[in-house]
Amino acid sequence: MTTVATAGDDRTEMREALEAVLGEITDPVLLAGGASKEAWAVDAGDERLLVRRAAVGVIHRHTLTLQHEFEVLTAAYEAGIKVPRPILYIEELDGREAFVMERLDGETIGRRIVRTNVSAELPLQMAEQLARIHAILHERLPFLQEASLDRLAEELDDVGEPHPAVELGLWWLRENRPPPRDPVVSHGDYRIGNIVVDESGLVGILDWEFAHVDDPVRDLGFGLVRAWRFGVDDKRLGGIGAAEPYLERYNERTGFDVRPEELDYWELAGNVAWAIGCLTQAQRHLRGQDRSVELAVLGRLGAEVELEICHLLESAGV
Amino acid sequence: MSERPTAQELAEAILEFFGAEILPTLTDPRLRFRTLVAMNALGIVYRELDALPPEDDTERRALAARIRGGDVDGATLARVRADVEARLRIASPHYLERYE
Repeated sequence: MTTVATAGDDRTEMREALEAVLGEITDPVLLAGGASKEAWAVDAGDERLLVRRAAVGVIHRHTLTLQHEFEVLTAAYEAGIKVPRPILYIEELDGREAFVMERLDGETIGRRIVRTNVSAELPLQMAEQLARIHAILHERLPFLQEASLDRLAEELDDVGEPHPAVELGLWWLRENRPPPRDPVVSHGDYRIGNIVVDESGLVGILDWEFAHVDDPVRDLGFGLVRAWRFGVDDKRLGGIGAAEPYLERYNERTGFDVRPEELDYWELAGNVAWAIGCLTQAQRHLRGQDRSVELAVLGRLGAEVELEICHLLESAGV
Repeated sequence: MSERPTAQELAEAILEFFGAEILPTLTDPRLRFRTLVAMNALGIVYRELDALPPEDDTERRALAARIRGGDVDGATLARVRADVEARLRIASPHYLERYE
């Protein structure tokens, strides 16, 4: 994993704060990636740990607090889902909210995963784990909110820029909505890039901050979005496999009867959501909440997702 | 103005990145000097872009509003796609090849 240089003071303060709760630890190393959350790697005795801490001054709509994310992770762990073992929630760690979990070995970087020979089991494991996530009872996590597609149009309006391709996508989604399924506890960002993979396949599911309650096919279709194929476009499931076996195994494990057309619908919905996501990320830079070239360019690269929306609409016969 | 960030806003973001994250890590005096020169050059780009008139997005706004109102016909997708492709030729020209 990539590490970034940090000022010595940050690291010393972090170490002192962590040692107050964990006992003696190795020097914390700040890992790269993730603009809204910091991730620190530390070892305590023979335990390999990852500390997830809120970044400075970041306010997000529709994302969980670290406390709620920790509760979701705990519920997933207790349900036997492959996740890092949750260890400790810390209300205030050197001034900010944080939690500690097990640090898993494996690869998370999407463009590396799609370029290695991943286990043929991975698509099936992804389906099986998703079926387990969708079986978590909402009552276990009552703070999770139900989402709807209407929220997407509101988010686009907040951005305030004209994007005809996104509008056309939203129009099609309104006109062609399949009969809604009973909403389930959803991961919200279930795709290559948010799972840890090794030679045996799926090791753990990360990044639960977008967890919410939704139509189950939303999660199922999100992993098909072309942006998450990391350049291996002919493998529709995240650049690692075909969609059919994944869908079949998911139906088998859930007892649902999700049809391929429903998956197509939610693949398009996933693209529309990610196109809007690119714009809202760029707004965080433009509004000064989180100045970063990485976020800024997303405002322009969202056009790639818009082209995919056009492509999918063409296939749908618009 | 509709394409955000604008070219000027992108130049500004890169300037901030160089100033806050790259420059402090440079110890080689030659590389440090050349980086400062590059930042000055980018500053010229930033100020020159200031003098340009903002992009006219009246047509794109009208198209988006019509689609929002449900006014979609057989020609809409082609218009939308042409607009996206024109923007991609600036933002990410190689991406277009993936659809050929």
